[in-house]
Amino acid sequence: MGEAYRFIGKTIPRRDAKEIVTGAACFHDDIRLLNMLYGQVLRSPHAHALIKEVDKTRLQKLPGVRAVLTWEDVPDWKGGMTHTTRVLDRKVRFVGDAVALVAADSKEIAKEALRLIDVEYEVLPAVFDVDEAIKPGAPQLYEECPGNVMPPGVPGWGGPRSLKEVVMGDVEQGFEEADVIAEGTFGYEGIPNPMPPESPGAIALWEEPNRMTIWVSDQSYYKHIGYLRRIVGKDIEIRTFGGPCGGSYGSKSMSWQIQLQAALLSRATGQPVKLSFTKEEHLAAYVLRPTSRIHARVGMKRDGTVTAVSGTWLLDTGFYSQTTQAQVAVGCGEAQLAVRCPNWNLKTAIVCTNRNASGIVRGFGGQELKCALIPLLSLAMEKAGLDPVEFFKKNFVKPGDRYVWRDGRRYTYRGVHHAAAMHEGAVRFNWKEKWKGWLQPTAVNGTKRRGVGFGIHGNADIGEDASEAYVRLDPNGTAKIFSSLAEHGTGQKSNITRMAAEVLQLPLERIFQPPSDSLLSPYERGPGGSRMTYAAGSAVIAAAEDARRKLLEEAAIVLGAKPEDLETVDGMVFTKGKPGNGVPWEKIIGADHTCMGYGRFEQDFTLSNCMMTFVEVEVDTETGKVDLLRVLNATDVGQIIDPPGLEGQLNGCLGSAGIDSALFEETILDRSTGHVLNANMIDYKWRTFSDLPPIENVILETPYESHRFHAVGVGEVATAPGPVAVLMAVSNAIGIWLHEYPTTPERVLRALDKSTFNRANRTERGKP
Amino acid sequence: VRSFTHINAHTIEEAYSMLDEHRGSAVLKAGGTDLLGVLKDEILPHYPRVVINVKTIPGLNFITEDERGLTLGALTTLHEVANSSLVKERYPALAEAARSVATPQIRNAATIGGNLCQDVRCWYYRYPLKIGGPLQCARKGSGPCLAVKGDNRYHAILEGKRCFAVCPSDMAVPLAALNAEVKIAGPKGERKVGVAEFFKPLRNALGNGEMVTEIEIPSHQGQGKQAFIKFSIREPGDFALVSVASAMTVEGGLCTDARIAIGAVAPGPVRAREAEAFLIGQPVHQEVIFKAAEQSVVGARPLSMNAYKVEITKALVRRAIRQALE
Repeated sequence: MGEAYRFIGKTIPRRDAKEIVTGAACFHDDIRLLNMLYGQVLRSPHAHALIKEVDKTRLQKLPGVRAVLTWEDVPDWKGGMTHTTRVLDRKVRFVGDAVALVAADSKEIAKEALRLIDVEYEVLPAVFDVDEAIKPGAPQLYEECPGNVMPPGVPGWGGPRSLKEVVMGDVEQGFEEADVIAEGTFGYEGIPNPMPPESPGAIALWEEPNRMTIWVSDQSYYKHIGYLRRIVGKDIEIRTFGGPCGGSYGSKSMSWQIQLQAALLSRATGQPVKLSFTKEEHLAAYVLRPTSRIHARVGMKRDGTVTAVSGTWLLDTGFYSQTTQAQVAVGCGEAQLAVRCPNWNLKTAIVCTNRNASGIVRGFGGQELKCALIPLLSLAMEKAGLDPVEFFKKNFVKPGDRYVWRDGRRYTYRGVHHAAAMHEGAVRFNWKEKWKGWLQPTAVNGTKRRGVGFGIHGNADIGEDASEAYVRLDPNGTAKIFSSLAEHGTGQKSNITRMAAEVLQLPLERIFQPPSDSLLSPYERGPGGSRMTYAAGSAVIAAAEDARRKLLEEAAIVLGAKPEDLETVDGMVFTKGKPGNGVPWEKIIGADHTCMGYGRFEQDFTLSNCMMTFVEVEVDTETGKVDLLRVLNATDVGQIIDPPGLEGQLNGCLGSAGIDSALFEETILDRSTGHVLNANMIDYKWRTFSDLPPIENVILETPYESHRFHAVGVGEVATAPGPVAVLMAVSNAIGIWLHEYPTTPERVLRALDKSTFNRANRTERGKP
Repeated sequence: VRSFTHINAHTIEEAYSMLDEHRGSAVLKAGGTDLLGVLKDEILPHYPRVVINVKTIPGLNFITEDERGLTLGALTTLHEVANSSLVKERYPALAEAARSVATPQIRNAATIGGNLCQDVRCWYYRYPLKIGGPLQCARKGSGPCLAVKGDNRYHAILEGKRCFAVCPSDMAVPLAALNAEVKIAGPKGERKVGVAEFFKPLRNALGNGEMVTEIEIPSHQGQGKQAFIKFSIREPGDFALVSVASAMTVEGGLCTDARIAIGAVAPGPVRAREAEAFLIGQPVHQEVIFKAAEQSVVGARPLSMNAYKVEITKALVRRAIRQALE
């Protein structure tokens, strides 16, 4: 357990709690600017087509329409990882792709305008499956990507050197050394939607000649500047505002298309334009998880030593790649964290198909790869008679272990030993009692069968990317934190306040943060990879320490003492141990001065978090229904910063494309036309509050060598281990391997060979 | 939502006259829980110009009982049906079905008449305008049923012909098992149809200008013991994948009356006539129940992806028979 802190680890209401529950918090939807117009997007009815002609003549009769834009009217702005995707293009690549943009005085007029645009298409053949898309003769989405394969590598992460595959050692020899070998094709292909409550949107104001201001509804806002500038040109001066965003789960890390659609409309009208997606657009035309499929082979010794992993990891990224190359890099790194193996030959390919794009979703690459790789490892574990918890205790990264991370460099792990949390979680779950072996139910009661499963995930991105912060001490005994951190729901703005408060020994009520404006605060990459606690936290701690040091140096002069003999508590400075003789900050700083500290964090890939999920399910073998009976998450966070916040993050393991992506959450695509069929909250099966299973969280606090509070973040990874645990539990319950997500009644009954009706009685439909 | 003219009706006659007058461009609205979604997504080829609110008609929200049976006004909310002590005691399958619909907020607004008249949930039929839609199909008057060659995991396994969308009404299922009738008013007068006959493959039985005014259920004395079971992917707040209502009478150890209705497997609630006939005169033990369940799906012709619904139907029929007799 950590030190005795005044703010860290204490249950204190969030700073924004009252605003949120009373409706006073100003979300994207609440923002109204003077002369603001409303944007709408006309969307393609075809999965793949060329726009032959757009006829706008019928629009002229509709008053209140201020701009109508198609690919012919706009600059050639291209985004995505490979800068091949236009904001508006002559070619549409999925059902729902943007064809035209409209700005009007009201939302209703803008919607009406969409009906009056006549578009003639030349329909092209489309492709919806990753293996089909790479076959010769398949429809081609981009000239720049022959064979529909996206160029690998991440420019910002070392470009050619960035991690594109896991290749090391000698797999041939590894397979020779193996006692058991398993192989096959495994996937995680339900393309679930992380579905934050607030749908994506943006407000843009373009001011000639070269100023663009964006009010984002994303989890980050400062880092957008660099990204957008690469698309619109370096001479454009970009300012971003980030308000509280109604959830993200990674998916609203970046919404460049919506932002630039709004910007194009503002550029055409000279007025601010708001563009907000409906839930239907959010589900059918915003980002999904990548589809993950492996064709692979693993070799293992009877003691659980993995001797070889070889194969291909195919990712379907939809109609373009926003960051899929980055997800490959992180996924490849995370595979090495989970599976200690000297011999790898895991190749990867990112393939585009005619569906809405995959984007950033928590679990970022690693969840997608592990959901396919662990079922393969499970087959080998079954042959070797190994318990999965014991297997991962042996194989998960330990101090001194080495791995290649996203930038292609090799790092040595210096974090905590996660076997302790694994052990504690297993004890609390009663794993040894419940685990009866592979494909063995924990209990059978008539037609109901219970099974247990285990999943694991860890991420060395907890120290990724840079953060900066200023902390300013004001003479009135208050402090201001300048950090370009937007609140995306997890309470991080409150958490950095606690960290600064602990350093400055200042009550939380005396620490303020200015509005989230990129002109005010320094660089902050924003949330991602559970990095806020370590990365953003380190920058704020450093800035607070810097301000405190300057304060005490000033005080030393005023008080005629040595800085190291001085202390500050509650806005007073005094000699250590003599709080009675305190001097207020104003006397030190001066009424017409402020005391500014600066802090910066440089990225560090030598620490990893680890999340383990144990589940118990009950399968109704008559109906195929899977009930989630119990979930236990185990992790070691070093030091809890915000107890209820952490609990909330871990309880978030179910939805947002986590555990429920193994039970019922999936985006259903018509595989011959490309229509997303369940783009609404009735058909997209999303768990409601009245259907929550018991969740227990086992949280260890073994100090990390991260920052002065020894903490690391785990928020991102809470969803990642669950899906594979459910698949394992259902397989064990019914005694048959299930390898498809989600475990729908149809799949369970098929596995039980109870849907044989079709084979015997199938009649051709649709024929007279 | 696109603009329309909203008119409050004050009598049944006024409502159906206006509906008839604006033929093809007017719709009736009761609770609106289904209609507003239909309008918002603009799934239909013709957007209505007039929405006639029938909630303002007095005297259509009631539950009364006499010697002939129970009568429910079409505007009775599902919350009221679910919580009526009369319904709970004498027609428990109906109360259970009402309780199974959606969420408390929706049950407070949704009416039993609207529940019967709601449009189908087929995702091709409901595909929204906003995302490159809507889609044309047989139900909309042009082209084939898109589910046949598409993703039909939730579609009909029985009685589908030109349209394979299933009946979304939970209330229709116990009402069919209880031999209920729907009372319809219109410019040509009043008429009654059986609940099962109210649903037709491409639409319901309402003619031009017609509306549902009451639902009549024969006396509870002949209804036997009842059960209603709903299977859905998500619980609660979801439409049925399969549902079954049963009404069973057993005298002297032998079944004297059996009525089994299956929901969400066909365009309307389906009475399992073979199973019912098989059960009568039998001692209702496990083997008989299994056979009855097999009989209940005779004639099932699943599509490419929904054969599993046959299995679920059989399981639910077995459970509904057992539960009724518990």
